[in-house]
Amino acid sequence: MSDTIASSKTIELRVLRYRPASDAEPVFVSYRVPYTDDMSVLQALQSIKDTQDGSLSFRWSCRMAICGSCGMMINGEPKLACNTFVRDLTPNAAVIEPLQNFPIERDLVVTVGDFVKKIESIYPYLMPKVPKPIEDGTYLQTPAQMTSYESFSDCINCMLCYAACPQFGANPDFIGPGAMALLQRYNGDSRDGGQQFRLDRIHGEDGVWACTAVGVCSEVCPKQVDPANAINQNKTNSALDFFLRYVRREQP
Amino acid sequence: MSERRPFHRLQPRHWWAHKPYRAYTVRELSGVAVAVYGAILLVGLFCLWRGQDAYAVYRRILASDWSFVVHAVLLAAVLWHVVTWFEILPKTMPKLILRGRQLPQRQVTAMGLLIALVCSAALLVVVVAIGAMS
Amino acid sequence: MDHFDADILILGAGGAGLRAAIAAAQSAPESTIALVSKVYPMRSHTVAAEGGSAGVVQDHDSLDNHFNDTVAGGDWLCEQDVVEYFVEHCTPEMVQLEHWGCPWSRKPDGHINVRAFGGMKIERTWFAADRSGFHILHTLFQTSTRFPSIRRFDEHFCVDLLTEDGRAQGAVVLSLSTGEFAAIHARAVVIATGGAGRVFRQNTNGGIVTGDGMALAYRHGVPLRDMEFVQYHPTCLPGTGILITEACRGEGAFLLNKDGNRYLQDYGLGPAEAKPRNKYMELGPRDRLSQAFWHEQRKGRTLTTPQGEAVLLDLRHIGSARIKERLPLICDLAKQFMGVDATTMPIPVRPAVHYTMGGILVDIRTASPLAGLFAAGECSSVGIHGANRLGSNSLAELSVFGRVAGEQAALFARGSSAARRSDQAADVAAKALALLDQKGAGERHAVLRAEMGASMEKGCGIYRLGPEMQNTCDTLAELRKRYAGITLEDKSRAWNTDWITAIELGFQLDVAQAMAHSGLARTESRGAHQRLDGFEQRDDANFLRHSLAHYRSADTPHITYAPVTITKSPPGQRAYGALGEHEEAASKDVSPKGGRPPAPKDPAHV
Repeated sequence: MSDTIASSKTIELRVLRYRPASDAEPVFVSYRVPYTDDMSVLQALQSIKDTQDGSLSFRWSCRMAICGSCGMMINGEPKLACNTFVRDLTPNAAVIEPLQNFPIERDLVVTVGDFVKKIESIYPYLMPKVPKPIEDGTYLQTPAQMTSYESFSDCINCMLCYAACPQFGANPDFIGPGAMALLQRYNGDSRDGGQQFRLDRIHGEDGVWACTAVGVCSEVCPKQVDPANAINQNKTNSALDFFLRYVRREQP
Repeated sequence: MSERRPFHRLQPRHWWAHKPYRAYTVRELSGVAVAVYGAILLVGLFCLWRGQDAYAVYRRILASDWSFVVHAVLLAAVLWHVVTWFEILPKTMPKLILRGRQLPQRQVTAMGLLIALVCSAALLVVVVAIGAMS
Repeated sequence: MDHFDADILILGAGGAGLRAAIAAAQSAPESTIALVSKVYPMRSHTVAAEGGSAGVVQDHDSLDNHFNDTVAGGDWLCEQDVVEYFVEHCTPEMVQLEHWGCPWSRKPDGHINVRAFGGMKIERTWFAADRSGFHILHTLFQTSTRFPSIRRFDEHFCVDLLTEDGRAQGAVVLSLSTGEFAAIHARAVVIATGGAGRVFRQNTNGGIVTGDGMALAYRHGVPLRDMEFVQYHPTCLPGTGILITEACRGEGAFLLNKDGNRYLQDYGLGPAEAKPRNKYMELGPRDRLSQAFWHEQRKGRTLTTPQGEAVLLDLRHIGSARIKERLPLICDLAKQFMGVDATTMPIPVRPAVHYTMGGILVDIRTASPLAGLFAAGECSSVGIHGANRLGSNSLAELSVFGRVAGEQAALFARGSSAARRSDQAADVAAKALALLDQKGAGERHAVLRAEMGASMEKGCGIYRLGPEMQNTCDTLAELRKRYAGITLEDKSRAWNTDWITAIELGFQLDVAQAMAHSGLARTESRGAHQRLDGFEQRDDANFLRHSLAHYRSADTPHITYAPVTITKSPPGQRAYGALGEHEEAASKDVSPKGGRPPAPKDPAHV
């Protein structure tokens, strides 16, 4: 934030607070924050924490939309606080809430552990088709081959897609857009041979079939990962795998 | 016992009526229009099977003003269903890579709609021709 | 308090910490590895690195070239035996990352593509679009999930080390979600907690880069080496300090002053050519480019923006398609934070603090003087960066020395007795809890943090003056006193970030003191430490030595010196641009190409 002149412009931020030690349930608290045109919502929250209420807790780190820490609901939309700007929210009050569809730990901090477990469950690492010793150098992969999985590899794990997904809201066990994007990142990688392992994780009501192609996940994604594509292309894979397993079983 | 006590907020009951889910809700409802069309056709077939009188009643109802309005609405809904169906189509496919570049999803949708239009037009021509010949 | 026994404890799950964990799990599969991080691993600041990671691949390149570039880039303050080891192991580590899935950018034939980078004679920087750190971090984190012997403690904040019998024996950590303490007892401890750039007001760093591990080792008697050397990255967004990668310059971007001139040619980096040329102009080393900005600003040739003075990074001539393909993140950042379309307008940029060359003293095996304590990554000073780091050597360092740390820690653990469950843990917890109830003058710690940042920016900036550094030292001493009187607003335990950031401030003040006092004591100019108060020259006779800052509790740090290991490269002139070619040719006894050699200029006093 520019500290050249003291700003006379202010905005009201209505923040959903929750302090488990003292609050039975979350409650809105209003803060009035001076702002400049280049200020992000993250900087506004930091201003509240530094000058008005040091007890306000929120996750943040990189300030440049790459670490994925600062996801929250801003005026009802899941966004990253570091690249949402106050100038686009004024003059009305801005409503700041923790990410939808997740339990609230404290203030704007939600429970992330289950999401991380989902990522860990889909074999999120390369299982090379062909083993190769380091001395033999890298695998070859053309730019065209990389294009088939590249967008899925850009996921910053910010969970905005989970906040946007009403099916995840209805079913917290749904594997969800982010984990599926990571799954497809590896399944679509020409070097990888672990497709079958990962396919075993996507069947059923908590797998891809919970998805009804609402598509808002891809709309809110700050990195154009297109998780809706990752899930929906795997519906075909899931169905094929289901029917083909009978054929596979019959093979010696 | 620590202080930790995560709070579970309920999903808003009417999420489907609010932004940004309204477009999705309309799309899903347009599928109902397809079902209604199907039901009307089925009723027509049933009347045809029942005989001339029943079918005449069916045709009179079809020719009414109300029917025209209902069919216009149903047609709009079904057309919307077609458009949104082709919009989802590229989401259900792996990325198409042509000459090292990903084929934009808009192009896949456009091509799909074009093919659908051509097939529909051809079907219409065939049906009209058969009708004219009989 | 919960107690947990591990063979190896790793503090920090960024690139170095994750690489160490994987190396330990692979080299000692029967060991239990506790991996502690105050954030989820994918939030570690490695994620923000953009440009790339160095590793010799081209046929016309050589390890000697990489070695020479690094040692010259470090203004000969590097431990040359360590640099030799480093350059030898960069490429295999980059290959290893690729085998683990890292999506390095490729040439059309499928081989690894490398790009030019500042201070490097020949292109050897592997890159993954302009999100290299992001891809490396995610590859390492995702690969680490393959190993069940790695037991992660996500969002656990390390409050202090446990040391006993002259050995590191573990740490006390605080769970952010519950506010409860746990003691992790381990036979070997690896610190991989990153740098300390947040002690400066304007920096590229994320909020978590607060020098935690450096401060902890320091307080337990491990010296911090070469702390005066802080890198200013020349191209960052004004105000936020957000990083605009060196890769832009590798692709050919120009740096222009407000008159539209490529001003770097006035500072011994020219002549200016249309195409980028390694070690010339915008591909000179970071310290020289930041220094040139400082001079341009003094001459009134910088642009005034609402966020402060800046110069212009012009990418337009690179072409829209190439910019979008090679530098997509930069386009987004310029658009969102500055409202600039990088394909049609130049981006305002200025130097901001980016990297801490100094850190925890460790040897080539990443072992510190404290038995059982290892360190790797930006928090350590293993000796490869010297007085100035070359871009793309840091991401490579994470893998090369992360692996060494993991293997060495596993080896040490195998040869050691189990850690004793000491009573220290209860004392550590009590001390941290005392901060919650602290009642003094009632100052907010945010005020102290702002004063620290402003003072460090003024006194330990791109150019330094003795009296100003002294002021900063005095300010820091005063801030440490006032720190004992801060009052927290939040007295709760669950997710009390008021408490956590207050503890971090304590770490930062100690590290900042080490930086400021080391700077004051070094009466010469070398690399990133440049003075304008009579000590403008490099003084090899007196200062071809590393500084070591020793903690003295309430007192100011005690600075001693240690020799530099020189093997193949005797200290020479650090020259870039045409001057550099001339110097290189002269040293090879080959006559320079065409015409008279340019007259040597002293870039600090143009």
